[in-house]
Amino acid sequence: MQSTRSLPRWRRVFQSNRLYLAVLMFLVVFPHLVGWITGDSPFGVGGRPRGQSVFWQSVFIEVFILAILTMSYNLIFGFTGVISFGHALFFGLGGYILGLVLQMTDLGPEIGLVIGGVIGVAICGLLGFLMGLVSLRLRGVYFAIFTLAIAEMFFIYIGRWPLTNAEDGFALNNIPELLNSTRNRLTYYYLALVLVVLTFLFIRRLINSPTGKVLLAIRENENRAQAIGYNTLTFKLVAITLAGMMAAGAGMLHVILNKKVGPETLGLTYTVDPLLMTIIGGVGTHAGPLIGTAGLHLSERVFNREFIIGSTTINIGQNWSLILGIVFIVVVLVFPQGVVGTWARWRQRRRAARAPTEGGDV
Amino acid sequence: MADAYNVLEVRGIHTFIGQFHILEGVTVVVPRGSITVLLGRNGAGKTTTLKSIMGLTPPSQGSITLEGQSLVGRRAFTIAQMGVGYVPEHRAIFRDLTVRENLVIAQRKGDDLERRADFIFELFPDLKRFYSLPGGNLSGGQQQMLAVARALVPENRLLLIDEPSEGLAPVIIEHLIEAIRKLAAQTTVLLVEQNFRVASILADRYVIIDDGRSVVSGQMQDLIHDEALVQRYLGVA
Repeated sequence: MQSTRSLPRWRRVFQSNRLYLAVLMFLVVFPHLVGWITGDSPFGVGGRPRGQSVFWQSVFIEVFILAILTMSYNLIFGFTGVISFGHALFFGLGGYILGLVLQMTDLGPEIGLVIGGVIGVAICGLLGFLMGLVSLRLRGVYFAIFTLAIAEMFFIYIGRWPLTNAEDGFALNNIPELLNSTRNRLTYYYLALVLVVLTFLFIRRLINSPTGKVLLAIRENENRAQAIGYNTLTFKLVAITLAGMMAAGAGMLHVILNKKVGPETLGLTYTVDPLLMTIIGGVGTHAGPLIGTAGLHLSERVFNREFIIGSTTINIGQNWSLILGIVFIVVVLVFPQGVVGTWARWRQRRRAARAPTEGGDV
Repeated sequence: MADAYNVLEVRGIHTFIGQFHILEGVTVVVPRGSITVLLGRNGAGKTTTLKSIMGLTPPSQGSITLEGQSLVGRRAFTIAQMGVGYVPEHRAIFRDLTVRENLVIAQRKGDDLERRADFIFELFPDLKRFYSLPGGNLSGGQQQMLAVARALVPENRLLLIDEPSEGLAPVIIEHLIEAIRKLAAQTTVLLVEQNFRVASILADRYVIIDDGRSVVSGQMQDLIHDEALVQRYLGVA
C-alpha cells in the first residue's frame, strides 16, 4: 500500500478531507437535487419562494447559521474549556447592530450592510474582550454566572428599549436585493454555506496553530499551561473575542434571513442550543458542532409535529422538549464525548492497539 | 543578601491554601549545579513548597529569589519565562496533544526544539518512537519522561521536579535516575522525592520538611549515614 507521506500535498489534503468534501459537494447540489426529485424549481415556483427545494433551502440556511454559532461556542467551550452562559448576547447584539444601521440610517442597503456588519462584529469582539478582561480570572461556574448575568441584562434592557420597539422588535426591509431571502433564497443558501465553510476552516487552522495548542493546553489544565510560561488570560481573551465576533456574524445572517430583529435572539435559547448541539456532536471536535447542529435542527424539523398512525395520533411536537432532554441525558451518560468524540476515541484506541514502531519527523 | 553561588533562595515562606496554613516557615537554598531534594512525610508541605516557588500557591510571607531576582508576587507564567522549569506530580502532560505538540508548546522565544531534540531523545529514546502519538496513549513511565522532557525544551536556570518516580516500575525508575543525572549536568535541580533510595542516589543536598517547616538540611551523604534522623523524620531505616 502506498504511504500517504509519499503523496503530493494536494492529494494528502484531499485524502484527509474527503468526507468533508463529499458533504460539501452534497450541500452544493442539494437544492438542485431536491428540485430534481420533487419537480419544484430551486428558484421557487411561479416567481415566488415556494416548493420543496426552497423550503429545504430555508431549513439548511437555519442549520448553517446555527452551525456558525455552535462552532463559535465550541471555540471557547470545547477548545479552551471556558463555559459561558452568555453566548446569545453576541448573536443577538450582532443582529441588532446590523438592523439598527440598516433601518435607522440613510446609508442605503449595500453600504449599510458593510458598515453595520463591520461595526457589529467589532463591537461584539470588543464586548467579548471586555467581558473576558473583567471576568476571565474567575473560573468555572463563577465565569459562567457572570456571562449569564451580563447577557440577561442586555436581554431585559433591549426588550424594553423604545428605540428598537421593545419586545416587538422591528422589521428589516432595507437589505440588499441580492441577500433578500424571499427573492434570492438560493443565493442566500450559498452565501451561508460559504460562511460555514470559512468559519470551519478558520477554527481548524487556529486550533492547529501554536495558539490553538495553547488553547487546548488551557482546556486540559490551566495551571500547567501557566507553569510552562503562558499568560493564559491572553489566550482565553483571544478565544472569547473571536467567538464573540463569529457569533455576531451568525446573528446578522439570522436577522437578514428572517427580516426581523427581536429580543428573543438575545435569549437563553441561543446559548443553550449551541451548548446542547456541541455536547451531542462532540465537545472540542471540529465536526461535532456541525453534526450536533444538523442532527438536532433537522430532527426538530422532521419530527416536531403530529404523526397519524391508523387511528392513533402521536403528537411528538408537544413533547419535543422532553424528547430533547432525554436525548441529552442519554448522550451525557452513555457518550459523554458526543458522537464525533466517541467515534474519534474508538479510532484512536484501534490505532494505538496497532502500536506504531516508526518515529515521526523531528 | 542573595548569594551568587545559589540559584534559588527560599527564606521563611508561609503559604495558605484557602484557610489552611500549609507552610509555616520553609527555608531552602539551592546551590548552582546541584541536585537538592526536599524530603518529608506525606502532607509535610513539599509539593506546596514547589508550587509556592512557581507562583501557583503564592506565599503570604517570606522571600524567594532566583539568582537575586525576587519571585514573590509574580505570576506562574512570568516565573516560567524567567527560567524556572516545573515538572508537576502525577505525570502532568497534556494528554490530548501529541508528544511533538507537548514539546513544541514548551518552546519559548529564541528556543530551538531541533537543537534540543538530540539531547532530549538521547535521554528518552521512547519519545522519538511515539512522536506523533497523543500523550494520553503513552504508558505511565513514558508520560513521566515526556513531562520531564517538556521542561528541558527551554534552557532553564532551575528545574523543579515533583515526585518523578511515583508509581513507576523499578526498571523505568532506573532509566529516569540516569536521565535526571544527565540533565543535572546542564541545569540546577530541586527535587521532591518520597523514594529515599532514589533521593539518596540523585541528590547532593537535602532539606527535610516536617509539618510545614524546614527542620534540617545539609549534604545528602551525611543524611544517608544518620539513621536516627532518617528514622525520625522519614520513617525509613
